[in-house]
Amino acid sequence: MTLSREFKVGLFIGCTAIIVVLALLYLAAGKGVFENLHAFTVSSKSGDGFTEGMPVVFSGFNIGKVQALELNEKGIVLIKIKIPDRHVKWIRSDSAFILYRPLIGSARIVVNTTNLNSPPLDEKKIPEVIIVNDINDAIARIEPALERVTQIADNVERLTSNLSDPKGDLHRILSNAGKITTNLASKKSLVEMVVSDEESVKALNDSLKKLKDITTNVDRILTKVDKMADKTDSEIYGKDGALPQVNVILKDIVGKLQKLDKTIDNINKISSDTSEGTKDLHILRSDIDDTLKTVEDAVKKLDAIIGLKKAPEFKVP
Amino acid sequence: MMSFWENLGRRVIQMLTAFADTIVFAGKVFIRIFRRKTYSSAMREVLLNQIYFTSVQILPVFLMVSILFGSLLIGIVFQLLKEFGLTGFFGHVLMGLIVTELSPLLTVLLITLRSAAAINTEMAVMKVNREIKTLEMFRIDVIDYLLVPRVINGIISIVLLSSLCSIVLLVSGTLFSWLIFGMSIDVYTNILLNATNFSDILIALFKCAIYGFFITLIPIRFGLRASHELTSIPIVVSQGMVNVFAAILIIEVLSLLTKLL
Repeated sequence: MTLSREFKVGLFIGCTAIIVVLALLYLAAGKGVFENLHAFTVSSKSGDGFTEGMPVVFSGFNIGKVQALELNEKGIVLIKIKIPDRHVKWIRSDSAFILYRPLIGSARIVVNTTNLNSPPLDEKKIPEVIIVNDINDAIARIEPALERVTQIADNVERLTSNLSDPKGDLHRILSNAGKITTNLASKKSLVEMVVSDEESVKALNDSLKKLKDITTNVDRILTKVDKMADKTDSEIYGKDGALPQVNVILKDIVGKLQKLDKTIDNINKISSDTSEGTKDLHILRSDIDDTLKTVEDAVKKLDAIIGLKKAPEFKVP
Repeated sequence: MMSFWENLGRRVIQMLTAFADTIVFAGKVFIRIFRRKTYSSAMREVLLNQIYFTSVQILPVFLMVSILFGSLLIGIVFQLLKEFGLTGFFGHVLMGLIVTELSPLLTVLLITLRSAAAINTEMAVMKVNREIKTLEMFRIDVIDYLLVPRVINGIISIVLLSSLCSIVLLVSGTLFSWLIFGMSIDVYTNILLNATNFSDILIALFKCAIYGFFITLIPIRFGLRASHELTSIPIVVSQGMVNVFAAILIIEVLSLLTKLL
C-alpha cells in the first residue's frame, strides 16, 4: 500500500504536534502548573538577596518559589511564597526558613523542618527568615588572613629595605666577613690571626708540647695505679683473701646467736612461771588476812558477850 | 582619497537599502500569511509539497543525525561536567544549552543546507526561465503562490523538527545520565523539571519560527534577484546562502541577548 503525500504530511504534523504538546504538558504538570498553591508569608528585616521567582528548597528539592515581595508599614519585608499542594506537607509550624546565599550559584530559601509530626504552619503566621551569607562569611574568614598577609608583606618590605640599605646590618656583616677572609689569607694560621703575634703562637706551641709530656707521665702513673689496684683486689677478694674468711666467721657467729636465742627463750619462760607463782602467793596472803580478820571479829563478839554475862561459859568450837 | 570615502558611503547605502528592502519584503510576506485569501487550493498544494520535501523526506536522516550527534554531544558534555565537578549544573546545562540552544541550531543548519539552498536555486532558475513573468502574466500572485507556502513551510518544519530533536536529546540524556552518573530516571526527571523554565522554551520556539521565516525568505529574495542569464544563478545562490548564515548568527545572538536581559 502506497501512502499518499497528504497522509504522510498529515501524519508527520499530527504526530509531532502531539508529541510536543504531551512533552509540554508533562513539564507543566511536573512544574505544578495545574496544582493548587498554598501561600505562606515570611518576613525579613532586609530585602537584600530576595528576588521574585527565587526557589524554595527542602532537602535539596525545589518545593516552591517566591511569589512577591512587599514592604509593610513597619519597614519589614514580607516575602510571599507559593507551595504546591503535594509539597505543603514539608511546611510545619516548627519549620525554619533560611535565606542561603552561596558564593557560587543563585540564592534560595531553604526550609528546615526538624519535626515533621508538628502541626502544619498556619498561613496567617509570619515566621522570620534566617540569613546565611556565604560571601560575607568568606570575607569575614579572609579578613584576618589578609591582615596577617599584610603584616608579612610589611615585614618582607622592611627586610628588603634593610638588605638594600648600604649601611644596613647585612652589608656590615658582609664587609666584616670580607675583612676576616682577607686577614685569614694573609696569615699562616687561624691562631696567628686570632692573637695577631708570632711570639705568642710560638709560646702556645711550646705549652702544647709540654702538655703532651705531662699527659704521657700521667698515663704512666695511671698504669701503675691500675696494677696496684689489681693486686689489692686479689688480696681482699681472692680465694684465700680477707673477705671469705670474714664470711666464715660471721656464719659461725650467726649459728651461735641462734642457739643463744633458744636459751634466752627458756629463761623468759621460767621468769614468767615465777611471776605466775607470786600472783598465787598474793591470793593466799589475802585469804589468810581474811581468815584472821574473821577470827578477830569472832573474838571481839565473844569479848562482848563475856562482858555482859557473869560466869560466862562458852564452849570452844 | 575622495573616491575611498565615496565607495565606502555607496557600499553602506547599498547595504542599508538592501536591508530595508528585505525588511519591507519580509513585512509584505508576513502580512500575507495572515490573509485568508492567500490560502487558495493551489497554494495549499504547494505548501503540502514543500512540507513533504522539507520535513517528511528528511525525517529518517534527521532523526538519525539527531540521535548520533545529540547522543555524542550529551555524552561529552556530561563527561565534562563530571570531570569539572559541575554536576550541580547538570539540569541547567541540559535545558539551557542543549535543548534550547543547540537543538534549534542543529535543526536550522540541516534544513538550511538541504532546503534553503534548493529554494534559492529554484527561484533563480524560475527567474532565468521567465517562469515568474509567466505567472504574473496569468495574474497569479507570486507572493501567495510561491513565497508564502515556502515561508510557512520553513516555520512549521523548523519548529517541529527542532522540538523532535530536543525530545530525542532528552531521551538520550536519560541513557547517558544513567551510564555516566548512575542516575535513575526519577532523579533525572526531577533535575530536568527543576531546570525547566517555560520562558526559555517559549523563546526557543519563537527563535525556531524566526529561523524558519528567514532561512526561506532570504533565499527566495536572492533567487528573485537573478537576471535572465544562466550565469547569474550561482552568484545569487552563493549570495543568498551567505546572507542566510549571517541571518542565523544574528538571530542566535539576539536570542542570547534576550535571555540575558
